[in-house]
Amino acid sequence: MKAMTEVNSVGSARKSFDPIFERGLKFVAILVMSLLILIIFFLYQLAAPAIHEYGWGFMFKSDWNPAKLIFGAYPFIHGTLITSLFALALSVPVSIGTALFLTEIASRQVAAVIGFLVELLAAIPSVVYGLWGLTVLAPRVRVTVQPWLSEHLSFIPGFSGMPYGVGVFSASIVLAIMITPTITSIAREVFRAVPHAQREAALAIGATHSEMIWLSVVRVSWSGVFGAVVLGLGRALGETMAVTMLIGNRNEVANSLFSPAQTMASLIANEYPEATNPLHIGALAYIGLILFGISFIVQGLARRIVNRVANPSGGGA
Amino acid sequence: MKPIVEAKNLNAYFENFHAVKNVSLAVPEKSLVALIGPSGCGKSTFLRCLNRMHEEIPKARVEGEVLLGGSSIYDRKLDPVAVRRSIGMVFQKPNPFPGMSIFENVVVGLKLTGSRDRMDQVAEEALKGAALWEEVKDKLKKPGTSLSGGQQQRLCIARALAMKPPVLLMDEPTSALDPISTAKVEELMISLKKSVTLIVVTHNMQQAARVSDRTAFFLMGELVEYDESSTLFTVPKDAKTEQYITGRFG
Repeated sequence: MKAMTEVNSVGSARKSFDPIFERGLKFVAILVMSLLILIIFFLYQLAAPAIHEYGWGFMFKSDWNPAKLIFGAYPFIHGTLITSLFALALSVPVSIGTALFLTEIASRQVAAVIGFLVELLAAIPSVVYGLWGLTVLAPRVRVTVQPWLSEHLSFIPGFSGMPYGVGVFSASIVLAIMITPTITSIAREVFRAVPHAQREAALAIGATHSEMIWLSVVRVSWSGVFGAVVLGLGRALGETMAVTMLIGNRNEVANSLFSPAQTMASLIANEYPEATNPLHIGALAYIGLILFGISFIVQGLARRIVNRVANPSGGGA
Repeated sequence: MKPIVEAKNLNAYFENFHAVKNVSLAVPEKSLVALIGPSGCGKSTFLRCLNRMHEEIPKARVEGEVLLGGSSIYDRKLDPVAVRRSIGMVFQKPNPFPGMSIFENVVVGLKLTGSRDRMDQVAEEALKGAALWEEVKDKLKKPGTSLSGGQQQRLCIARALAMKPPVLLMDEPTSALDPISTAKVEELMISLKKSVTLIVVTHNMQQAARVSDRTAFFLMGELVEYDESSTLFTVPKDAKTEQYITGRFG
């Protein structure tokens, strides 16, 4: 009996620490959440002059002239979307191909090495990508790639115009490299989640290796791969440093993939340090808010899709 | 009777692990052979050597010979894909292709071989052969995964039958099913052996005794005893077989 009470008293002494611990955890969780809310609030306050001046129409106006205090976000929304989507077009086939190679073809050792190297691409700082793009990529794009493309592919809209080197084209290539590890590693998880039994089902009815990959792996992975792609898009939309260095910084709607342009992120990075007028600052903050909104929706969508694929118990394949 | 499947001195390895040790076994045509033995005894691995599925596992390899209708399936000139098209396989867990309808699941193998003629008829025959036709004939466009576990397993059997294989391998086909579904699949096995040779791995000795003509008892990768089921389950020759079937281990 005596032993029992001792055990109990020790137990209750330890238990009494629980509420403090739990409260501490609750505190940090709330802290993170309120940070998000505070940032939105701060951004909104900063953007207020521009929001009151222009309203929703801000997003569809094409003029941006800080000297005359005329502001419209359309060229930058356009620039952001066009660079991100072109980057996706370049990156998606490579990423999905790599992910399939890693899960279906490479031996475990090879997959480990290549998978690691692909993920290392994500560890290269954005500014280093920018530097590489500016000194190595852009000159070659200007001298070789763009003249060739405008000679042979000019029938495709966007593949023509003056070869500047810097611009949508070069920025998109660097963006594509930067989002490849994201898409590859998530697509790889999606393919890995396909049960082994599905692969055997295909092999047992006499599917070749490539038929098996199609029947059992790719065909059932659409939604997960889509999630991976959207997550890559989310990364591309907000990427700032490398794009700022390579986009060419022209505040106009890009009429070709070769022309210099400006993204929402690069505009803010370029102009905020010198913006003094509250309306100018407000317009930049408003753009920040729009970018935030787009990223928020895209990332949220992607997370939902990817989570549903990773835990199929929530319904869906 | 002339054997349709014959393994000769078959050895199977996983990297360094010797999983099947020098097994020779002949399966008479249109009969049902059960492979029994405790977990890890090599019976599933042996089965997977019979349609060259074993070699799909990295670092797995096979030595020895397997004859199908007298000719070697391990012939160097032969593509394992061709072997698997003529030897069907049904797995432990029903694995219909998700996102495919019942009909598509049945004919998927035919589409691979490019024989798209009379697919409706072949699908109907295969589903009838798998005793599933009556249950699904009005909902062939529904997803295969919408069926119950037992129906899914019979769908997988239909998928294999659609290829008209002379031999059907089953790897514990009822171990994931409830007793009623199990009984249906067992009934199906008995009716199938009129037209197909069946080789069935099972953990369930009663099942082996109920459905099989001949039984092979595996232990530690070796074939201990292979005989008429009526003999093996009543008067086993080997002491280890007797111990196993009387439930003393495994």
